[in-house]
Amino acid sequence: MAEVTLRPPRNLADPRAIAWWTVQSFLLAVPLAAAAVAGYWFFAPHSPALGFAVAALAAACLLLAALAPRACYRVQRWEITDEAVYVRSGWLTHTWRVAPMSRIQTVDTARGPVQRLFGLADVTVTTASSAGAIKIEALDHELAAELAARLTAITQATPGDAT
Amino acid sequence: MSTRQEAAVEVVWSALHRRVPLATAVVSLAIAAPAGIGATRILLGMDLPYALVAAGAAGTVLLVVVAAYVHGVARLRTTRFRLTAERLELRVGILTRQHRAIPRDRVRSVDVKADVVRRAFGLAVVKVGTGEHTSGESAELTLNGLAAAEAESLRRTLLSGVAARESVQEDGGQAIAGLRWQWVRYAPLSIWVFVGGAVAIGAIKKVLDVFGLDVFSASMAKAAWEWLIANPWISVPVVVTGSLLVGLVGAVGLFAETWGGYRLEWEAGTLRVRRGLLTRRSLTLETGRLRGVVVAEPLLLRLGGGAKVRAVAVGLRKAEGDESEEVSALTPPMPRAEAVRVASRVLHASPSPVAMAGGLDDLRPHPKAARSRRVRPALATVATLAAAMAVADLLTGWIPAAAWALPLIALPVASALALDAYRGLGHRLTGSHLLTRAGSALRTTVALDRGGIVGWRIRQSFFQRRLGLITVAATTAAGDGHYDVLDVDASEGLDLAAQAVPGLLEPFLLRRES
Repeated sequence: MAEVTLRPPRNLADPRAIAWWTVQSFLLAVPLAAAAVAGYWFFAPHSPALGFAVAALAAACLLLAALAPRACYRVQRWEITDEAVYVRSGWLTHTWRVAPMSRIQTVDTARGPVQRLFGLADVTVTTASSAGAIKIEALDHELAAELAARLTAITQATPGDAT
Repeated sequence: MSTRQEAAVEVVWSALHRRVPLATAVVSLAIAAPAGIGATRILLGMDLPYALVAAGAAGTVLLVVVAAYVHGVARLRTTRFRLTAERLELRVGILTRQHRAIPRDRVRSVDVKADVVRRAFGLAVVKVGTGEHTSGESAELTLNGLAAAEAESLRRTLLSGVAARESVQEDGGQAIAGLRWQWVRYAPLSIWVFVGGAVAIGAIKKVLDVFGLDVFSASMAKAAWEWLIANPWISVPVVVTGSLLVGLVGAVGLFAETWGGYRLEWEAGTLRVRRGLLTRRSLTLETGRLRGVVVAEPLLLRLGGGAKVRAVAVGLRKAEGDESEEVSALTPPMPRAEAVRVASRVLHASPSPVAMAGGLDDLRPHPKAARSRRVRPALATVATLAAAMAVADLLTGWIPAAAWALPLIALPVASALALDAYRGLGHRLTGSHLLTRAGSALRTTVALDRGGIVGWRIRQSFFQRRLGLITVAATTAAGDGHYDVLDVDASEGLDLAAQAVPGLLEPFLLRRES
């Protein structure tokens, strides 16, 4: 029997996504690492073993914050053909989502405050299923608007209520 | 919302039935009686003459009943509805006026319900559902209190669009299944039998509390507990038997109330379920909204050879708190063969009437790797339990020798469940449906209309990747939103998805001859 696999979707997120995700993860990781170090400095007995553990934790936090966005960037891919939206995401657990154009109900774009600084936007595509929306993250905001317009035009042209 | 002028002008607004306030007042007795008793208790504690106590209690009851009656009158006065050629419109609200409308071609299900009090007054509650899934506000209209006959005619009219298309006689629905009382033997095959006794004791205690009888006082509970501990050989069998008996009676009673007068029929392009001994319910589903069926076999029921059938339909509401059965339930627990027969008859009447060869069984088993994926965690859990006990024993020495029976019993039970879960896995593609089966504690066999699949969600975890397995979920607008083919061989699963909806997944697949 032939071996069947899913090919990755053709497009990556915008390269600026790495910067955006890095900023976001540092916004979380820096206070965490700082809190650990401060806690050790002011409150804990200064034993070398504990000091080493705290330093390792802080370093791990910062390293993860620096590397995770790159890993994310490599696994998150998307593709929109004339027939379907196809998205891959997830690092340990891979998730592929496919929705045919004819079954798309709504198309939204969203831009967070930090995201806006980088000129990025997310596109969210929902179907009638309650299994969750399909999200294409961190696209150039003009590309996102264009995609949303294109998807909306196609879905409006499709008769029926897409259930 | 502005009313359209055309075609709506000549249709007059109708009101709810005039007996609604009276019925509301009678229903309110359920609150009024405990309130009266509570008032009596408080007044008795205040050392007042008995006449005054009686007057106070009666006053409380009267207050509640009158308030309910007044509310009922207000509701009757303010609620107006009408059925125009295009939509069903409803105006409600005593303080906040609301005008709601459902386009008639959006009506997907009509639910008629009448509890004991409403039946005595000849009333029924009609709930009209649309297929809307998204909006937080419920996308259904409730007409609380129509004459039973009016409710029935509204139900027919609302779904008459379907009837006209199908050109089937209005009367004489074609029966698919009816109640057989011998099925009551499946009623006790549920977890409720084991916990039913405790639930019943809790309920009785609550009722007694209202009457001010504190039977289960702390000292008494303590004494009872000490007695139970002191005489385990008498107390354990007595308590277990008693609890089982109460649970048994409860389960049988619940079965009778839920499924008395049950009838499932195929009526003019709709599927209609009627059931309920005291509270009568009738759910009508447009078959255009039917996306498949689920044959559910909870473990106990499965061991007893029974199964239940549920509908997979778009726009069914969720069960409310006071409902013991899911809204999508099509049958009571019944013999498995009968359930499979009902399921395939419901499927045949659905929009794609391709006969299903092989019925719901005869599914393709999943690879051996899926078995390891179940057995290994089961063994690991038992091993962890044993290890934790060993560590605790080393540290404290408190683990009695008898406790080691626990992992010894857990080992075969966990292995058996894991193997059973593996045996349950299976899938098959028919001309019209995707069949998938999974689960041990609750085994479900789903037949999903291939036309109702609105996309795919394919997942592969780290461990699945190592074992060459994949989980393929067909997403759908109906039922649970997605139905999974669990732990299938990766190539086979993708191929299955590609074939189930031709053309959708194919462009994204790579096929390599091996």
